[in-house]
Amino acid sequence: MIEISNIKFNSPIIAASGTFGYGDEVESLVDLEKLGCVITKSITLKEKIGNPHPRIIESSAGMLNAIGLSNVGVENFCKKKLSSLNNIKTNFLISIAGTKIEDYVKIIERIEQSSSNHIGYEVNISCPNVKKGGLVFGVSHEMTEQLTIAIRKCTKKLVIMKLSPNVTCIEDIAMAAENGGADAVSAINTLVGLGIDAKTRKMKLHNIYGGLSGPAIKPIALANVHKIFKSIKIPIIGLGGIQSVDDIVEFFLAGAHLVQIGTLNYRDPSTGVRLALELEKYCLEKKLSSIHDIKGLVEYR
Amino acid sequence: MLVKKQKYKFQILWSMRQWPLSYVNWRLTTAYQEGWKFAVKHPIIFIKDLWNFLDWCQKIDDKR
Repeated sequence: MIEISNIKFNSPIIAASGTFGYGDEVESLVDLEKLGCVITKSITLKEKIGNPHPRIIESSAGMLNAIGLSNVGVENFCKKKLSSLNNIKTNFLISIAGTKIEDYVKIIERIEQSSSNHIGYEVNISCPNVKKGGLVFGVSHEMTEQLTIAIRKCTKKLVIMKLSPNVTCIEDIAMAAENGGADAVSAINTLVGLGIDAKTRKMKLHNIYGGLSGPAIKPIALANVHKIFKSIKIPIIGLGGIQSVDDIVEFFLAGAHLVQIGTLNYRDPSTGVRLALELEKYCLEKKLSSIHDIKGLVEYR
Repeated sequence: MLVKKQKYKFQILWSMRQWPLSYVNWRLTTAYQEGWKFAVKHPIIFIKDLWNFLDWCQKIDDKR
């Protein structure tokens, strides 16, 4: 069984934030016990309706989104969502987002006042679709470290920093998260992208820029996971374009400790469970006690 | 050589009948500020978006 800071995960596969609702919506559809964890939609201090339509568009081998952190806000989340989340049959992490350090601290303080079984927080410091906030932290190693230190002081639960690929040196940001006391990092969030309609000559997204995700970004995600793996000691949760067991194997060889399924949940929310079952078969065939046996074992030419 | 047969759009749509209402509601809230109300107020835009989504599903299935 895979662990991060003594927290056990049933499976190495996690449902990524923003692709699986708040986590409880799919309980009757998906056998959540087969997933290692579910990560909620990012929660902000105040309720947000997000950006105007169009805010999700399909692109070659992926999708561009500029949802803009649409969510119910921490107060409504604690009152209306936590009780049902407490009953789901797997671990859950709460994704949090903010525009300044105090926002993140207040969100955690509010959640910690509630009765909640969550195992920790995934800290979104890398959302490219909001006019202010998120990414400001994600591109600065000083701010990432300050934020991680502030969050670490507020909670004993897992702190996982979600890193942006939209930086020059992702290793610096990962090291800042490690120095600040994070238990793990997730890599990578979406890449900044743009969609233009050649027929109408208009921008496809109302927000102009969006976050590109899906199979199109997998090689970039793998490169970033491997760079981080060589730079830090804390575990890396790899994500970006995973759609098959081979993709999962590649992430583990690159150095991932766990993986997240994101965009493919939009195609079919049971993708994670299907891949978890296929991964078990793969391990049996290859005589591995766990997929963890091949972590970081990629061979160089 | 293994030839994968692409699912028709209506087959993909039919497979979504199992989606719980709470999940459908979340998907609509994710796509539109007003959620399901937007789909009711702007059915043509909604159908166009749905068509593009089903088209995307077919392309993603091809790559799997």
